[in-house]
Amino acid sequence: MTKPSHTERLELFRRMLHMRRFEEMVIRLAQSHEYTGRQHLHIGHEATGAAVAMAMRDGDKIHTTHRNHGYVIACGADPGRAFAEIMGRRDGLNGGKGGSWHLCDATRGFQSTSAMVGGSIALAAGAAFALKLAKSGNISFAHFGDGTLDEGVAYEALNIASIYELPVLFVCENNSKAGQRPSSMLAAARLQDVPAALQIHCELVDGADSDAAQIVFQNAADRVRTTGRPVFVEATLERWPGSHQVKADFPTGVTDISLALNLDKVEGKHADWIKRSDPLLRATRALIEDGVSDLVGLLELDAKVNKLMEESRSFAEASPFPDVSVAFTGVFAS
Amino acid sequence: MPQMNLAEALIDGLIWSLRADPRATIIGRGIAGHGPEHAAEDRLKQEFGSRIIDPPTSEAAVAQLGTGAAMAGARPFVHYGTAVFAYEAWNQFINEAANIHYMSNGQLSAPVTFHLFHGIRGGGGPQHSGSPYAMYANNPGLEIVLPTSPRDAKGLMRSAMASNNPTIVIQNAKLLGLTEDVPAEDYYIPFGKADVKRAGKDVSVIACSRSVIDALEAAAILENEDVSVEVIDIRTLAPLDVDTIIASVEKTGRMVAVDETYEICGVASELIASVVTRAFSALKSQPVRVARPMTPVPFSPPLEAAVNPGTQKIVEACRRVCLR
Repeated sequence: MTKPSHTERLELFRRMLHMRRFEEMVIRLAQSHEYTGRQHLHIGHEATGAAVAMAMRDGDKIHTTHRNHGYVIACGADPGRAFAEIMGRRDGLNGGKGGSWHLCDATRGFQSTSAMVGGSIALAAGAAFALKLAKSGNISFAHFGDGTLDEGVAYEALNIASIYELPVLFVCENNSKAGQRPSSMLAAARLQDVPAALQIHCELVDGADSDAAQIVFQNAADRVRTTGRPVFVEATLERWPGSHQVKADFPTGVTDISLALNLDKVEGKHADWIKRSDPLLRATRALIEDGVSDLVGLLELDAKVNKLMEESRSFAEASPFPDVSVAFTGVFAS
Repeated sequence: MPQMNLAEALIDGLIWSLRADPRATIIGRGIAGHGPEHAAEDRLKQEFGSRIIDPPTSEAAVAQLGTGAAMAGARPFVHYGTAVFAYEAWNQFINEAANIHYMSNGQLSAPVTFHLFHGIRGGGGPQHSGSPYAMYANNPGLEIVLPTSPRDAKGLMRSAMASNNPTIVIQNAKLLGLTEDVPAEDYYIPFGKADVKRAGKDVSVIACSRSVIDALEAAAILENEDVSVEVIDIRTLAPLDVDTIIASVEKTGRMVAVDETYEICGVASELIASVVTRAFSALKSQPVRVARPMTPVPFSPPLEAAVNPGTQKIVEACRRVCLR
């Protein structure tokens, strides 16, 4: 892919919008319900997540970290069941047994979301191993943050993927922070120096640039399919100022996509993030400037997505807590 | 019926598993150990060489490779050699493989088999003599299999490879040379079925792994003292066949629990707890636990022997419970 078509760009935008409005609703749910979970919101990472999801084909597998909501939604999971899971309700994707940290939807190839740093990277190598053994032609995707490269198992998994030529696309979202401190402390000058030393082809992309992300991830996935070898993509991102696992808030405001055409008017503490690092506003502006759509069209889509999220919230709130008896079932597969 | 040693029986079980299921694959080498029985592995390499990979020394990622592959439809058998090496894969066993079926609400499962050699093997010292299965049993979601006889080893291996759950097949490294008649054909031994290895009427010795062999020796010694010992091999620690254990204790009225894991929170402790809490009134005397004391395993042979719950300690324990 050298340039995505108008249809592909609109589809990417549609998924990004679902991801953003989903997370904003998670914040509202956290504010209005006393639920016990934490949230690792994907706001600001939407271009990367949506581009990865669009590069997936039927039969592919993906493992993510616990910053998973965006990926689950980008892969097409029901937002109502995802909200219900985050709230620990019966109709949740995992029946209330996983929570925000472990949303999954196996029918969409969305395998576990491991909440252990270093969990997803090696599980995805395992999925690639199985897909290769089965001669399926499918590939697997590993999503993780830059902090994962601090873990020994990440090095082991990259090495194994390289020596056994496993068809896995490593997606490293580098937002450079974990909580309020740097999330990776590598002696290597660049993250990709590590996989590159293990003979893995590496790419770097501005993870907030939807067009660039779409091109890079589509081409990277094609390369994995063609060569059968792993590829490592580092997506650079600026952490969203509201990213906090227990404080649910809107420090950059509820997203107003019409702001994309008036970025010079943005002021305040987080103006830089809004102007430069919000992938949704950047995509909105690009679509309008390139004549792919107009603001009216995008606002209509936005209204539809907001309505879906409202309905999904109602579904989740109406779902009861699970019957306590299920706590004791399902430990083993039959 | 052919004779096989335990290593050959394990390999035979694996070969039947690979023949039966094209998804089955082997990660690891040295499956029959590195002692005199190691050549048993040759049959496997000859028939299924293309389905074996010899991974780098990356215990954590290899466990995760097997788990992730299992979740995506493969049936991996992952060999670790010495059980303590798998301490590097603790998170992968406990927090990933064991949890995935439950936390996905049954959407996913991890049918992976991990194979480990445990126990005091002569000169292993503090770092190579570990028996971690009590620690594994302290977590939900893992099946734990402890083959003692060649016949059991083959059938239990078949069940492990056919299981839809993460399964740890862990055996004492010193038992690989044990030899007996083993059926040549394909067969399964189900999990959760303890085996009465020797019937008796005065005292029940409940044991697993190497301790079963020691208990049988102890029973032969005690026969000369007119003490009739029943020896039960639990065969699988998870699931545990408590019914068979209780039926035996109800018959004899006395219990000795023997196991190589540590006496604190160990298997022997759990065996006694499961009897006392369900069949206290069947006991004519206080049960006794024979387990590894809370000390690392020392290197020097007489020191090593002193911490091993061997035959003589079982004999003494049986005498004590019968005197009361």
